[in-house]
Amino acid sequence: MSVEISVNLRKKIDEIKKKFPRDKSPILPLLHAFQDEFGYISVEIEEEVAKIVGVSPVYVREVSTFYSMFNNKPVGKYHIQVCGNISCWLRGYDEIVEYIKKKLGIEIGETTPDGKFTLSRVECLGMCDQAPVMQINGDFYGNLTPEKIDEILDNLE
Amino acid sequence: MSEKIKVTINGKEILTTPDKTILQVAEENGIDIPHYCYHPGLPVAGNCRMCLVEVEGARKLQTACSTQVRDGMVVRTDTPQVKEAVRQVLEFMLINHPLDCPVCDQAGECGLQDYYMEYGQYDPKFIENKNKKSKKATPIGKYVILDQERCILCARCVRFTRFITKTEEIGIFNRGDHSEVDLFPGKELNNRYTGNLVDICPVGAMTCRDFRFKCRVWYLEEFDSICPGCSRGCNIKIYYNPHRPHKADGNRVLRFKPRFNPEVNRYWMCDDGRYGYKFIDENRIMYPLKGKEEVYLDEAINSFVSLLKESIPDRTFYLLSANSTNEELFATKKFFVDNYKLENIFLPDEDIFTGDRDDLLITEDKHPNTNGVKAIFNILYKDLIKLDELRELLEEKSISLLIVNRHELPEDVLDFIKENGIKLVYLGTNFNKTSKAADLVFPISVFAEKEGSFINVDKRFQKFSSRLEPLGVSMPEWVLFNRLSELMEFPVYYSSYMNIFKHMISEVGAFKNIDLNNINKYGVLVEL
Amino acid sequence: MSVKILTKHFHIKDSHKIDVYISDGGYKQAERALKEMKPEEILEEVKKSNLRGRGGAGFPTGLKWSFVPKDTGKPVYLCVNSDESEPGTFKDRHIIEKDPHMLLEGIIITSYTIGAHESYIYIRGEYYPQAIRLQEAIDEAYAKGFLGENIFGTGYKLDVKIYRGAGAYICGEETALLESIEGKKGKPRLKPPFPAVVGLYNCPTVINNVETIANIPAIVEKGGEWFASLGPEKNGGTKLYAISGHVNKPGVYEHEMGYPLMKLINEDAGGVIDGLKLKAVIPGGSSVPVLRAEECDINLDYDSVAKAGSMLGSGAVIVMSEKTCMVRALQRLIHFYKDESCGQCTPCREGTGWMLKIINRIVSGNGRKEDVDTLYYIAKGILGHTVCPLGDAAAMPVMSFIDKFRDEFEYFAINKKSKVE
Repeated sequence: MSVEISVNLRKKIDEIKKKFPRDKSPILPLLHAFQDEFGYISVEIEEEVAKIVGVSPVYVREVSTFYSMFNNKPVGKYHIQVCGNISCWLRGYDEIVEYIKKKLGIEIGETTPDGKFTLSRVECLGMCDQAPVMQINGDFYGNLTPEKIDEILDNLE
Repeated sequence: MSEKIKVTINGKEILTTPDKTILQVAEENGIDIPHYCYHPGLPVAGNCRMCLVEVEGARKLQTACSTQVRDGMVVRTDTPQVKEAVRQVLEFMLINHPLDCPVCDQAGECGLQDYYMEYGQYDPKFIENKNKKSKKATPIGKYVILDQERCILCARCVRFTRFITKTEEIGIFNRGDHSEVDLFPGKELNNRYTGNLVDICPVGAMTCRDFRFKCRVWYLEEFDSICPGCSRGCNIKIYYNPHRPHKADGNRVLRFKPRFNPEVNRYWMCDDGRYGYKFIDENRIMYPLKGKEEVYLDEAINSFVSLLKESIPDRTFYLLSANSTNEELFATKKFFVDNYKLENIFLPDEDIFTGDRDDLLITEDKHPNTNGVKAIFNILYKDLIKLDELRELLEEKSISLLIVNRHELPEDVLDFIKENGIKLVYLGTNFNKTSKAADLVFPISVFAEKEGSFINVDKRFQKFSSRLEPLGVSMPEWVLFNRLSELMEFPVYYSSYMNIFKHMISEVGAFKNIDLNNINKYGVLVEL
Repeated sequence: MSVKILTKHFHIKDSHKIDVYISDGGYKQAERALKEMKPEEILEEVKKSNLRGRGGAGFPTGLKWSFVPKDTGKPVYLCVNSDESEPGTFKDRHIIEKDPHMLLEGIIITSYTIGAHESYIYIRGEYYPQAIRLQEAIDEAYAKGFLGENIFGTGYKLDVKIYRGAGAYICGEETALLESIEGKKGKPRLKPPFPAVVGLYNCPTVINNVETIANIPAIVEKGGEWFASLGPEKNGGTKLYAISGHVNKPGVYEHEMGYPLMKLINEDAGGVIDGLKLKAVIPGGSSVPVLRAEECDINLDYDSVAKAGSMLGSGAVIVMSEKTCMVRALQRLIHFYKDESCGQCTPCREGTGWMLKIINRIVSGNGRKEDVDTLYYIAKGILGHTVCPLGDAAAMPVMSFIDKFRDEFEYFAINKKSKVE
């Protein structure tokens, strides 16, 4: 299976290569760009990125499996990442995550059958002043309460 | 040379140079510092944390593998603090390591077993379930099998493929305690040095598919030798099995491993050489043959003498082998050139210009001793004959007796010999089509069964010895020529290997700078 | 009214925009530095200022800069550490969101001082909106000619690039950060060589935290002595204290170094929630030893906190009320370090996983009395035995939690339930 690269992605690839010309530096930005496009990093994408950078695919896979933000399998349209670290836990992580689990009918690490939501527990997101917090596809949501979660999730298309 | 500095390790004052690490200085001075990730042939990683030592003035314990020595440095490897740290690192290493030594092929030469006995011996505190990993006993290449659960993530294999073969097949994926050594999905090891991965793996994570379960390593004995697989002349150890002869189908030799020689192969050898050992025990010519019949050696030798006498030097033809040792070649020259006055003595170019070479060790000449032939017979590459032109040569010179040392003759030559009643004598170690077509066959002992020397591609003269008996009545060529000389009434020279060796050194011009009493263990450069 | 350096614009509308920043004197110090000061003069001021690295280690910034070798023929790099992943820490995020130009001005002056023409801001991958804001600020600065070729007409050239991480706490460790920018796994390097000599792409490199760099324009403006006078001896300047957990007003508060911890909790952060009693405080991000309530009568500067047996670290204060189960709290932390261990060094890789298994077992009601000692034993086996400080960071909380709340741990292990809940 080969990777279809859109015009937009091709443009991003060229920009990344220009901006980070040295060594393997393009690998992380490229993986971000591919994940933005495809939702996760497949083995084929690792090979593609390796080709672009001119390294063994082993390097790319080392990187893509090392960093927790790179998904090595598909995730839902909305990736809900709830912070479970200390400050969020002190402010009610347990209740929040239980509420989301019940609401979506999935456990941590699972995706809803319609492919809309994936639920993950993540480490400190650096938003402790708004604990408990979660991040959905890059956007932060803090001071979570069940009501607020309803409002946020119900408004996602 | 760098300036000398003084370092103290465990109270012992050592003069050394500042380009070394604590671990290197300790090893040179017989002080053992345990380690897994450090390997002298690889860049330092410093990740296993076994080599922690106390350095005076340092706040924390330092890794001996990565810390350079400096003048006045005071190091201790024997304090309670160091011992406790090492013991605990070892305990960490073992918590997720399976307890499968009884079925692990590494047992007996395992770094974990060895260090546990020396530095471990603790009451285990770990009562949790061990981590599971994805690959148990999974082949990752022709010769290597991977068990991720036994892996201690020292990354020697990763560094080997990154810095030595530069093929970069292996990585460590994921992170933390679910890190796994692995290949890229769907890929196999893709280099010709994979056996080294088994050597450098300090535990049983990478074991050898060829050797696995053939014999427990503690039944093996070993001796030093030189790999005959190509003209690199990699220094090796030959492991053989004298105590459990019923194992491994009765084969004596079970594996080769590289032996350090900084001038030749450092720590490595190629797979072709390593797994090319099987000819030592398989398909061997063990007894002389006349026609298709096994005969006594005396009878075969008498027949050979008759053939030599019936023929004349002008109509006799000898094909030399670059697998013969220098001593054998020297005896051949004495017998055929000096005494029998043979002029038709040639080295074929077979397997010399294969084009198969790399930048690491593999050379294109698949013989160990072409330079030996050059040194002793003064043959230049331009003098080599092509086997596919041999037929014309035999015809042109009206040859009646052809003596072939080890080569496989082309079909057309074999046909020509048959059609023209040319007598064929074969000297060799293993059966081939040519031996089967020969009128007389003499069993020659393989390199691993005799003392001798080769000259490698870089003109390095390297001696080797043996602890294996020749199979059957096979013998070194020079022994055969001794017997022939007697019957031909040529002067007999060689009462022993040492005797022929001394004659050779003093008579062959190329060997004039070899000091008989002081042959470097890494070999001597000769002038060609 | 205490001095504000880093947060002085935070209350202004659109404080992140360049025009707002310029209208309050922004980029004047960079211009003055480049036009009127020699790099050595700036270095001297920074040394005098007693500015210490705000990332956690508190290393004197001027001294760090002075390690960069001169005339190696190689480029020098400035890497700005915006990985901010230490649990409880969110101060740099506030600077990036509310005053990115102060950071950029600091980057210009710092780069000029150390002789760098290229600077990388390594921002944690999760800070996606923040990376966008920062990029907008960089674009604005380029448009004004504050970055790029011939800055302020001085001939000095500087490029600033953002490099996004991708979820790895370890990349806040400076050599792991360099590895990451080089496109590799964030595996800390052995030291020596130190990054000042062999850093990014094997070139001399200075790595400073966002907050550290953001202080530079003020030091250039008002002088090192002024900055040094703000805190106690050897602890120059103000500090962003990020307070979270069981307080009424979690947030970032700027005070002169040495601000009293109890004042921060009770006055700035409005006290412990629900009128509960204070139980414990982690004063400098999750990696530092915890303090019991009665140990909290201290000032928040590097030396005072150290004297109390903990560390100021990143200045992230995590407050725990009397209702906190310390066993469960530690479970969170161990989970974090186990997740974030890069896996390179045996003690950290194996030890964090082992500790998590034990504490999970205790919390699930399957503990044994000796588990508490084993936890401590494992932590001790990690401490000081790894390449980078993550091992210590994982060990210290475990040891201090057990040292200070051993009864809770033993209670949980023996009685299969929390002593608190």
